[in-house]
Amino acid sequence: MRALLLLALLPFCNAVAHEMTPTYPTFSDSFMAGISVTTLNIFNKRMDVSYYEIGVFDKEWVPIPFVSQYTVIPMAYLDTVSFDVYVSNLSLGSVEYICSVSQMQAGTTVSSKICSRVK
Amino acid sequence: MKKVLIASLLLAPSISAYATEAPITGNVQTRCLITTDTNGVYGNPLPSKLSTLAADGGVVPVVRYDVTLADAYLAKVTTPTAFTSNPTLVDSVTWTGSTTVTNTTDVGMAGYEAAKVTYGSTTQYDLTVAGSTWFSSESTAVYGGTKSFPGGSYTAIILAECIAK
Repeated sequence: MRALLLLALLPFCNAVAHEMTPTYPTFSDSFMAGISVTTLNIFNKRMDVSYYEIGVFDKEWVPIPFVSQYTVIPMAYLDTVSFDVYVSNLSLGSVEYICSVSQMQAGTTVSSKICSRVK
Repeated sequence: MKKVLIASLLLAPSISAYATEAPITGNVQTRCLITTDTNGVYGNPLPSKLSTLAADGGVVPVVRYDVTLADAYLAKVTTPTAFTSNPTLVDSVTWTGSTTVTNTTDVGMAGYEAAKVTYGSTTQYDLTVAGSTWFSSESTAVYGGTKSFPGGSYTAIILAECIAK
C-alpha cells in the first residue's frame, strides 16, 4: 500500500529552463494608428513544456487586453520564438508586466513564469 | 631604386587593408532563466502523509535562477496548496511548505535568506546580485488528520516566478 503511495511530485529528468527577453521591453508605434507594439523572445529549454501563455498586466496584476500572433505559443524543445504584443494606446500607460507562463502537461510539475516590465 | 620605391608606395594601401582589424562584437542581454535543477518526489513516511523531505523518503525539488543583471528581478517560489492530479479524496488535505536558498554563485547573495519575504505559500527573494541561486522547496501534505491517502498517483505543482523590478 505504501509503495503505491510513494509518488513523484516531479518525474526525474535533466535540467530544463525557460527564458524570456528583454527584461525591459519598450513599445513603439505599430503599422496601425492608435496601436503600439513591442517584441519579446522566449527560449524553451524545457522538454516537458510545449506551450507558453502570454499575458499583459497592470501594476495590480489586472489583465490588460492585447493582441499577439498567439496567446498560447506552441514551442518545440530548444526553440526560440519571437512574438509581437500589440496594445491600444489608450491602455498603454497602464501596461506594467508582460509575462510568459509554461503550460502544464502530464508529468510536468514545475510551472515557470517570467515577467518583463515596461518602465 | 626609384622604381622599387614607387612600387612600394603603390602597394602600401593594399598591404594596410590586409592589416585591418576584424572586431568581434557581442551583446549580453539582461535576462532571467528559470531552471528545474532537481525534480521533487513525495515520500510516504506515514499512511496519512506525503513529504518531499529526505528524512521522509522524498526528494526536495530545486529550482535555479540565473540573472545577468543585479537588482533587476524578484524571485517568487510558491509551494503547492493542492494536487493537480490525485485519486478521489473525501477529506481535506493540510499543506505546509517552505523555500530556502541552498546554493549561490556569489558571496553577495549570502543575505538572500535573511531578507526573504514569505506570505501564504509564496516566498519572495530580491535578486540583488547577478549570478545563479538555487532554491529548495519542501512540501508536505497531510490527509484528514490521520486518514490514509488512497492508493494512486498524486501530482502537485511548484510555481517559480521571475518578475522584473
